[in-house]
Amino acid sequence: MKQVVAIAVNTFRETIRDRVLAVIVVFALLMIAGGLWLGSISLGEQGRMMKDFGLVAVTGFGLIVAVFVAASLVHKEVEKRTVFVLFSKPVSRAAFITGKFIGLCGTMAMVLAGMGLFLFALVWIVAGQASGMVLLAVLMIYVQLLAVVAVTIFFSTMGSAILAAVLGICVFVAGQLSHNVLALTRLGKNPITEALSWVVYVIIPNFSAVDVKAGAVGEQTLAWGQIGLWTAYLLAYIVVALALATVIFRRKEF
Amino acid sequence: MTAAALEVRALHKTAHVGFSRRPVEILRGVDFTVGPNEVYGLLGPNGAGKTTTVKVALGLMRPTSGSVALGVKGLSHVGYLPENPYFYDYLSGREFLGFCARLFGFDGAARHERVDGLLRDVSLERAADTQLRKYSKGMLQRIGIAQALINDPELVLLDEPMTGLDPVGRVEVKRIIERLHERGKTVMFNSHILSDVHELCSRIAIMREGRVVWEGAVAEALDEAPSLEDFFMKVVTG
Repeated sequence: MKQVVAIAVNTFRETIRDRVLAVIVVFALLMIAGGLWLGSISLGEQGRMMKDFGLVAVTGFGLIVAVFVAASLVHKEVEKRTVFVLFSKPVSRAAFITGKFIGLCGTMAMVLAGMGLFLFALVWIVAGQASGMVLLAVLMIYVQLLAVVAVTIFFSTMGSAILAAVLGICVFVAGQLSHNVLALTRLGKNPITEALSWVVYVIIPNFSAVDVKAGAVGEQTLAWGQIGLWTAYLLAYIVVALALATVIFRRKEF
Repeated sequence: MTAAALEVRALHKTAHVGFSRRPVEILRGVDFTVGPNEVYGLLGPNGAGKTTTVKVALGLMRPTSGSVALGVKGLSHVGYLPENPYFYDYLSGREFLGFCARLFGFDGAARHERVDGLLRDVSLERAADTQLRKYSKGMLQRIGIAQALINDPELVLLDEPMTGLDPVGRVEVKRIIERLHERGKTVMFNSHILSDVHELCSRIAIMREGRVVWEGAVAEALDEAPSLEDFFMKVVTG
């Protein structure tokens, strides 16, 4: 356990100090602030437009951070041969993968909290709406991105960092769409396409089920029980992805 | 510690390289024994299999066949400096050593004491709070040695410890190895700098093409040739 904590703290320090991360966060904040302009040209819907645009920006930039940092986490250690130092000490591969994941969870929490609080303050100051739903929506984006991080780490133990990043993005996009694709293929009544979309629906996490952006901007009433269940499912998904990543990483030689 | 600090027997390692997974024999039956409290030199030209042997000993690679027996209870009692070490850019020297100490379960005051002591031993006190990306090659080598000693190991494996060091740095590393020896530790190191090997080691093994072609005391080698360099050339070219 001490090894996991040490690796998590080290990963957090290493990633949070990376200048590329700072640049991405600055761009994200500028993008969120860009919602002010959109709000100003939308008649009577300033607050809603700012929330809508801001949450999309939080998702997009959060995804960029999650995928690119997660993809390089394991790879960088192997490429730069810091694994020699780690695995010549009593550090298991499971502790390594878990520590890396937890460290990045900390970094993601800082990044998303920064973006979420900025958006919350902006909506409050400009549109006069102290919307707790914005913060809840950011929290649910965080949960989704943690699953993306776990899946990307899994891919990074098998292939290159770029491939892992691309696959991570694909999983996120597919997870947003899989529910709708399944519904559409059911309408088509073709058993093959329906079976295929069912397989995708089962394998890829259903991110749309925990997406509360629409609820945050007041377009949809939220079913909390369902959201809770899907969140538990995503957490289980994370555990499975990390376990598989550990199994693959155990077989690696350096 | 048992009779031997490190015992390598009939060690074979075949790697599969390229798209066609072509087998390449890296180790072809390596045998040697490092006794307790020895300073042992593992020598050989580039590609002889020295680093691979050490990696297998540490579990970084799996042997195809043969065995490696550590005379200590697991990796908790082993220290390792990899060749051309590279560490975490954005950590300071102190943070990096603190991280390594945490991996061995050092907490609080014990960790600070250990880290400060090692920074002093490798003469990096002034650069302790500088990020590692700003370290010179020699400084990285010294912080690498410090991390290898963080757990006060019984067995220390150093892969090219003198590489990149200026004469002062080399003298400091040699003093560290001598102090380890005086404290009853076992040190095995790979090096191409034969004068250092002559000065520090009691026994050596010379590897060529994945095998140990000679093992014995430095004094024995010097009985057969005027210098260790001449003996080495005779063995690896003979």
